[in-house]
Amino acid sequence: MASLWERFLDWLRSLFFKKEMELSLIGLQNAGKTSLVNVIATGAFHEDMIPTVGFNMRKVTRGAVTIKLWDLGGQPRFRSMWERYCRGVQAVVYVVDSADHEALEHARAELHDLLARPSLATIPLLVLGNKNDMPGALSTIDLIDRLDLKALRDREVCVYSISCKSQNNIDITLDWLTKHAKS
Amino acid sequence: MAATAQDPSAPLRGPEKKDEDRDEDTEYSPFYAIEKGAVLQEARCFNEPHIDPRRCQQVITKLLYLLTQGETLTKKEASEVFFSVTKLYQSKDANLRRMVYLVIKDVCPGADEVIIITSSLMKDMNSKTDLYRSNAIRVLCSITDSQLLGQIERYLKQAIVDKAAVVASAVLVSALHLLGHNAEIVKRWTNEIQEAVQSKHTMVQFHGVALLHALRANDRLAVSKLVTSLTKSNVRSSLAQCLLVRYVAQVIAESTTSGSGVRPFYDFLESCLRHKAELVIFEAARAITAMPEVTMRELAPAITVLQLFLTSSKPVLRFAAVRTLNKVAMTHPSAVAACNLDLEALISDSNRTIATLAITTLLKTGNESSVERLLKQIGSFMSDIADDFKIVVVEAIRSLCLKFPQKYRALMNFLSNVLREDGGFEYKKAIVDSILILIKDIPDAKEPGLGHLCEFIEDCEFTYLSTQILHLLGVEGPKTKEPAKYIRFIYNRIILENATVRAAAVSSLAKFGALVEELRPRIRVLLSRALHDNDDEVRDRATLYLAELDGHAGGPEAIDVHWSIPPKNLEKSLRAYLENGTDAPFDLASVPRAVPQAPQKDQKKKSGPAAVSKPEPPKASPIADTLRDITELAHLGPVFKSADPLLLTEEETEYNIAVVVHVFEAHVLLQFNCTNTVQEQVLENVSVAVDLAEAEEFEQELSLPLARMEYGTVGQAYVLLQRAPESMAVGKLGANLQFTVKEIDPSSGEAEEDGYEDEYQLEDIEIGAANYIKAVGVSNFRKAWEDTDPASEISDDYGLGVRDSLQDAVEAVMTILSMAPCDGSDAVPPNARSHTLLLAGQFVGDVPALARISFGIDIGRNVAMKLVTRSDVPEISDFIHQIIQS
Repeated sequence: MASLWERFLDWLRSLFFKKEMELSLIGLQNAGKTSLVNVIATGAFHEDMIPTVGFNMRKVTRGAVTIKLWDLGGQPRFRSMWERYCRGVQAVVYVVDSADHEALEHARAELHDLLARPSLATIPLLVLGNKNDMPGALSTIDLIDRLDLKALRDREVCVYSISCKSQNNIDITLDWLTKHAKS
Repeated sequence: MAATAQDPSAPLRGPEKKDEDRDEDTEYSPFYAIEKGAVLQEARCFNEPHIDPRRCQQVITKLLYLLTQGETLTKKEASEVFFSVTKLYQSKDANLRRMVYLVIKDVCPGADEVIIITSSLMKDMNSKTDLYRSNAIRVLCSITDSQLLGQIERYLKQAIVDKAAVVASAVLVSALHLLGHNAEIVKRWTNEIQEAVQSKHTMVQFHGVALLHALRANDRLAVSKLVTSLTKSNVRSSLAQCLLVRYVAQVIAESTTSGSGVRPFYDFLESCLRHKAELVIFEAARAITAMPEVTMRELAPAITVLQLFLTSSKPVLRFAAVRTLNKVAMTHPSAVAACNLDLEALISDSNRTIATLAITTLLKTGNESSVERLLKQIGSFMSDIADDFKIVVVEAIRSLCLKFPQKYRALMNFLSNVLREDGGFEYKKAIVDSILILIKDIPDAKEPGLGHLCEFIEDCEFTYLSTQILHLLGVEGPKTKEPAKYIRFIYNRIILENATVRAAAVSSLAKFGALVEELRPRIRVLLSRALHDNDDEVRDRATLYLAELDGHAGGPEAIDVHWSIPPKNLEKSLRAYLENGTDAPFDLASVPRAVPQAPQKDQKKKSGPAAVSKPEPPKASPIADTLRDITELAHLGPVFKSADPLLLTEEETEYNIAVVVHVFEAHVLLQFNCTNTVQEQVLENVSVAVDLAEAEEFEQELSLPLARMEYGTVGQAYVLLQRAPESMAVGKLGANLQFTVKEIDPSSGEAEEDGYEDEYQLEDIEIGAANYIKAVGVSNFRKAWEDTDPASEISDDYGLGVRDSLQDAVEAVMTILSMAPCDGSDAVPPNARSHTLLLAGQFVGDVPALARISFGIDIGRNVAMKLVTRSDVPEISDFIHQIIQS
């Protein structure tokens, strides 16, 4: 009963406080970006995914918030084009494979490279350490260290350790995102 | 045509009409005065978080408009537009999505950037909306590479047999484009394509047929098979049927069944003439008319159909029919003659293009009596049509004039009338060219033609034409009966025109002075007036010509020189001379007279005569060019005639030897072009021993061996024979090739030290009378004939036996005599029973000779001829008869 009431209130709020946000989802290939989109949009996780060639555009509605997701391909040939889809978004979501230790150094370089662009100054950054269900996955503290996130100034930075497969911490991720939606 | 084309950037109803309808309803094109910068500015709306689909569509439309108008985007602009367009993917608006597809295809950003859209397109390719599917397929196929194509092939294959026609067509058309680079993949879809051809949608069938054909385009047999199967199956779509007719026409054109056999597919084409779609009927009719060596019987049904079209109420059909008939009239005027009545009705057609085509067709089919009437009708609308069509008319009249020389007066008058009207350069040039050709080909037309041209240059705004005409007046004018009357026109140019024309006029006048004795004093006066011209060139020419007319600086003859040295060769020789830096004066005689065919050959020439290689049997003059470079042969003087190369060996033998017979004043030079076809050996010291037993009038003077004959190269050995000067010695020479063979060591590729001598029997060389005759035409045979001493005339009758046709007999006689035909008399009109061939030639010693040969053919195809010859040297006249007799 209470939940029904809650939903009704949500719906009412959504009528008056409709919010919208635009996100760019980036990260190296095989980090789990498209899986994340699928989990957020449909709640389903698929083990075998094909690499994204280019981008996927998805719109997800969560309560009062409509999220436009630009899920960009992570292969090297697309990395130069990330910046174009990050301009003007409310938040940049950077997905890393926290179990792939070798790739982390690459991921760090790409991230710092991208955020150095003047067009992306002050855009909040959410770093997601995906695949925390895997053995040897790094914790958030390790990620901050390995990705050198302390060096990023003048922007809001947040790190979560998640798993698309076991749907771990997806809810707090969404919370963070909806908080950053503009009304 | 140009009149109907609209300036796209102007309002639909131009501002010049604004005075008449100043009303509010002046329609402006929505694209009036848009420009790139502003549109690119507007394109920023693509990036806004909230997209207005309608506005975005408009901006894209403008962008597409600019692109189709030839506007280009820089790389930066293109990628900027492209990326902002991809942002529009968030909109679900179907129409906007369609525009996005279009603009992506047209903006064409770099390959590395366009890839970003791939995944979205692949998603759309499997969407439920037909419109998305078809458009996504088109874009995807246009941006894809073969690797990606492999990934999506499965979907494409499926889409060929999609229920929605748009989707199927999209794949088929895309496949046509893909064929260029990824033919292999498309070939795997054949079964699906076959199925598409059976589709009930007209467009799918059309595209399917096109693709099937494109897949086989390189294989004639496969095309033929495909066409056969398609003609049997029921092709419902008229568009596909049209395509099929074209393919059939192509197969017919390529099939080489000589006339006798039944033409394949003709029945099919004929049945298409009864198709219910006009499109197909016309296509079939056109295909029939375009068949190679089409017979009258085959042509008849097509002409009937086209004749029906002539009276159609649709201008397009009338135009198509008359245009096709126009083409047919060029080859089969009599077949089109049946349509003459309908064509005449079309002369008053409100569409000027149709009228022009009708007229020109009539000009081709009409008989002599209708020429004047037609001319009158053309005259009435010449001013209404565009220059392009006027040129067509002028060309038609030119060919008519050549066909009916007797009518030259009316036609010439017509040309001079249109010459007076306003017109662009191309048009005037066509008229002047026509008149020039008429003057050249119809002797009677010369004087009136020159008169018209004189009148024309009185008021000619085109320097090029003026100078051309002035030059012609200089050449032809002095030969006319009253040269004096042209002087005024020419002199007027010196007073009135620009410097270029003035200079041409001075030259022209000087020629009159040089060639016409009695005019010389008057010309001198006129030329002296040009001495104070303010242009250097004009002054210089006048000064030079005056001096020459006075007998200085070469005398009057020097004015009308015949410059026989090609300027290119002169330039090259001068360059070489300057590079050598010798003190010796430049010798003009050292300049080769023949035009070099390829620069590469010239480089080789410098390395010595033995190394000169000729990849193909060269014509006579380049050989003469080569001979100049051989010092031993330099004393021979100019070559009188070089015969075509003649093989002395079988085609497939070890050594390929061809002989070229050069005739000089007192010598005959045998040039042997030797080719070694054996890779394992090299021949050295190659010479030809000539046996003069059967040719006593010759005496061997010199033999130049070829030092080394390697595999695959061509070298020359020479044998020089002496004969009495200007005599026409004939005879048969035995020839024997002598050489030293050295084997080539296959391991080292070098020739071995020791060789052995060998001989090789060649076929006999025949030196006949034809070697002493040069085909030199005369421009006016009748005049030349009358000018030659009638006493030298020798006449005799000969029987030529049974021949296929008169043309055959004429060609046979021309080959024997190797003289030049005059006044176009080498072409026998079809079905003629008698014919007169006029021949002119030059004999050794530069003696001109003329022959008039009358042929007659009887029912039994027996050809008889009467040969009448004249020459300034009576022996020559007799000699021609000897040639025929032998």
